[in-house]
Amino acid sequence: MVVGNIILRLRGSLEFKCQLDSTDVPHVQKVISRTFEALGSQVKAESLVLSLSSSPVFLWPNKGGHATAGEISPNRPCKDLQQLIQTDDQESSRKKSAKKDKKNPTAGIINLTLMTEVTEPGVLSAPTLLRGSKKHHLLQTTLPMDCVVSVLSSESISVVCGTLVGALCSQLSDMEKVALRHMKGTALLIPQPFHFLLPAPVGLVTVVYPAGVPDSQLETRRKELHSLFELPDDRPYLRRANALHFPDEPYKDGYLRNPHVHLNHPALENGKPYLVQGVYSYHHYMQDRVDDNGWGCAYRSLQTICSWFQQQGYVERAVPSHKEIQQALVEVGDKQGSFLGSRQWIGSIEVAAVLDQLLGVTSKIMFVSQGNAECFRELANHFLSEGTPIMIGGGVLAHTILGVAWSETTGQIRYLILDPHYTGAEDLQVITEKGWCGWKGPEFWDQNAYYNLCLPQRPKTI
Amino acid sequence: MGRGYIVEDVVEKYLSNLSVPGASCVTGLLIGQSSSQRDFVVLAVRTPQKDTEGQGSPSVSRGAGNSLEHLDVEWVTEHARQVSRMLPGGMSVIGVFLVTPPELSKEGQNTLRRLIFAVDKHISKGRLWSLTEEDVTEKVTLHICSKTRKVVCRTYDVRDPKSSAKPADWKYQSGVCTSWPLLTCSVGLNLVFPVLEMHVLPQDMEKCMKEGLQTWAKQIEDGLCLINGDAMPGEVELLGGQKKNAKAVQQTFRAQILIPMAEPQSERRLTASVKVCSGSLTLKGMVQCRAYLHSNKPRAKHATEVIKRDVINTVSSRVEMFLEDLLMEGEDKGSVGVQQVLPRRVFAPVPGMSLCVCDYMFPDECVSDVSDRLKEMLDWETPEDSIDTSQEAVPEAPTIDLKNTVVQKNLKAKSTLDARPKTPSEDPTEAHKSHKTYYAGVAMAAAIALLATGTSLIYLSD
Repeated sequence: MVVGNIILRLRGSLEFKCQLDSTDVPHVQKVISRTFEALGSQVKAESLVLSLSSSPVFLWPNKGGHATAGEISPNRPCKDLQQLIQTDDQESSRKKSAKKDKKNPTAGIINLTLMTEVTEPGVLSAPTLLRGSKKHHLLQTTLPMDCVVSVLSSESISVVCGTLVGALCSQLSDMEKVALRHMKGTALLIPQPFHFLLPAPVGLVTVVYPAGVPDSQLETRRKELHSLFELPDDRPYLRRANALHFPDEPYKDGYLRNPHVHLNHPALENGKPYLVQGVYSYHHYMQDRVDDNGWGCAYRSLQTICSWFQQQGYVERAVPSHKEIQQALVEVGDKQGSFLGSRQWIGSIEVAAVLDQLLGVTSKIMFVSQGNAECFRELANHFLSEGTPIMIGGGVLAHTILGVAWSETTGQIRYLILDPHYTGAEDLQVITEKGWCGWKGPEFWDQNAYYNLCLPQRPKTI
Repeated sequence: MGRGYIVEDVVEKYLSNLSVPGASCVTGLLIGQSSSQRDFVVLAVRTPQKDTEGQGSPSVSRGAGNSLEHLDVEWVTEHARQVSRMLPGGMSVIGVFLVTPPELSKEGQNTLRRLIFAVDKHISKGRLWSLTEEDVTEKVTLHICSKTRKVVCRTYDVRDPKSSAKPADWKYQSGVCTSWPLLTCSVGLNLVFPVLEMHVLPQDMEKCMKEGLQTWAKQIEDGLCLINGDAMPGEVELLGGQKKNAKAVQQTFRAQILIPMAEPQSERRLTASVKVCSGSLTLKGMVQCRAYLHSNKPRAKHATEVIKRDVINTVSSRVEMFLEDLLMEGEDKGSVGVQQVLPRRVFAPVPGMSLCVCDYMFPDECVSDVSDRLKEMLDWETPEDSIDTSQEAVPEAPTIDLKNTVVQKNLKAKSTLDARPKTPSEDPTEAHKSHKTYYAGVAMAAAIALLATGTSLIYLSD
């Protein structure tokens, strides 16, 4: 993200309504195109109004950025808009989230919603009623507009308004292409926009996908885009699950994401941390109304790993339950039928087997004895190349390793551990302060125990 | 503790000038506004005579009309409904009055009770907006003894059919409404209502229009209202800036209505909905809206409420009138595919006050028709040049699809258009009691006579 830039996000629904006199394909295509064209005019009309969320400000982008609040005039820089947004008091008092905001480049985005002014006179004469009597199919839906633009914070409001309207128009054009490409008869799949934060220098892009068509059927499209944006062709960047998660939108499932980002790096001289890449959810004891206290730690670690593969877009299936995990092991023949419904522990071998059976993911198994320091290098390499969470089992415990750090000068090693034995609520403060997610030193390892590590490998796919 | 009614001096004059010969009874309406603290009455209008021969001389008794039993309640309620259509936002029929000879005073109270409930029920029919908890549901009944001129004022809660009479104060004052703030706006309409396959026009036209307008009315009700360009919080006092003893002057406020373009609450679809339709109804044009507020510390939320209600009322009134007229005329086979002009709104000043009332002119009517109607409904003389017909322009040319070559051809042929044919079946003297007929009386006769004076209908071929 470019420093000194502001991100504005504009959302709203445009009503899409058209009359099809026949179901003849060329006719349908013509009518659809004409309807999109009319929406384009609507978006450029003077009656379009942008509402600045959580503020009393309304902007008329097609009237030069004229605004309601007196202090906002069209030639003021757009960063002035931020001061008018009424922020949630609770949020600003939490120091931890302030730190998170610094690290998260999309923090402080300005949200706007679409409105229309009905008192804006376009047609000046008294109303008329027209009765049409042609039989037709009425196609009706709303288009979920969602535009994101990144502009200099010093850019004037009137220019930014123009940029936003331009973004709406080009999104309509993208939606038209997608709608026509995937249309069958009178079934119009609703085009849905997704935002992706691609590695520099590309940055923020928005891609429109048709609703209801799974990622697996959209590979050709993704190949085109990968080549357009010069993205590597062996890992997913543009699957729906890879879509950028905006900081102001809470996750609906209630699981915490990446609690480790709220921690300070270990205070090591010349220490460089090697961390998990992407996003995972924290799974631990007692979640989902399953009381697995005392036996489910490896299952939870496995769930954390599955959540990683889902959120990086490799799989579409939900994180498996304890039952599904056990079922998978019986299916591959690793366990007998009596295993189902039991409270038996599993180890890294079983974790690897389930990842293979349910997700199609292969893993490397590593044996470590007596806290072997050299294994550190392998772990660091793993985080660099694969970046997946590691499940570690040994003795009577299982944990998840999210990262390692090592000091060149002192030789000290630290391990970033996510502990599945936590039984409390999704309280970020407790989890980070009490070390349920935290950096541990070598004393964390039992010197007399043997450890097995499961290192999941990324499938080569987009 | 009863309600207090503050009544304009002119009402006292009107009521005392009502000539009520002998033992006959006179009914009428009381027009004004109710606020939570106080109620205001600005106009009193007697129920017009049913007999058109007796028009203009209110002293003609109708023989059997001496007894209260022969009082035509339906006639009174129909008059109330017609008058309601002539009132801008904020103003409404808030009560009824009854003048009886002293011996009928007691029975008169029962009559008043019947009348007020019937009137309220009738004028609420077809209303597209809903009452809120803050709306005052107490209506006033005024009994005047024809001999002693003694006034008895009581209120009933029309929401409760079992409610009993509560005493209320009736106080005359001058200049009650001189400083009533006025809100104005003009609302653009561009609505397309589908006529689903199962419906048959013209019978189901009313149903289709009603359904469509209901959705639109909800949007307006839920919309945001700006007053003089400002999004005021609801509790802010509209007249806040005025000094206490400043000269009472009427302020005008410009209202703007913004509607969010948001996705409807219903479940997320993957494809556009498809409906088979046999036709469509398109309502296009601009309506001019006005509303008055009282001067007793009105708040922004009251202002937005009255102007929104006027917007909804003016559209539903003229659609109702149009449909009633269509019903009376009999279905014109040529009207399909024809853009018909709905009645347009005109304004007339209330004598001696800074308020306006409105009326609706059909395309084939002229100012003298309006003047006649005002005399009949509101019982006052209006000089024709004081009637403002300029607010809503007559559509000169088709306002849709000028690129359509068929339309262009018809524009050239416009000069040869005939007036809309009317079936001369109605007997102008057959003053109807039926609810469905538009209370035409003299106006109907005048309209037929004025056929030749040109129309503003535009014909479009299918």
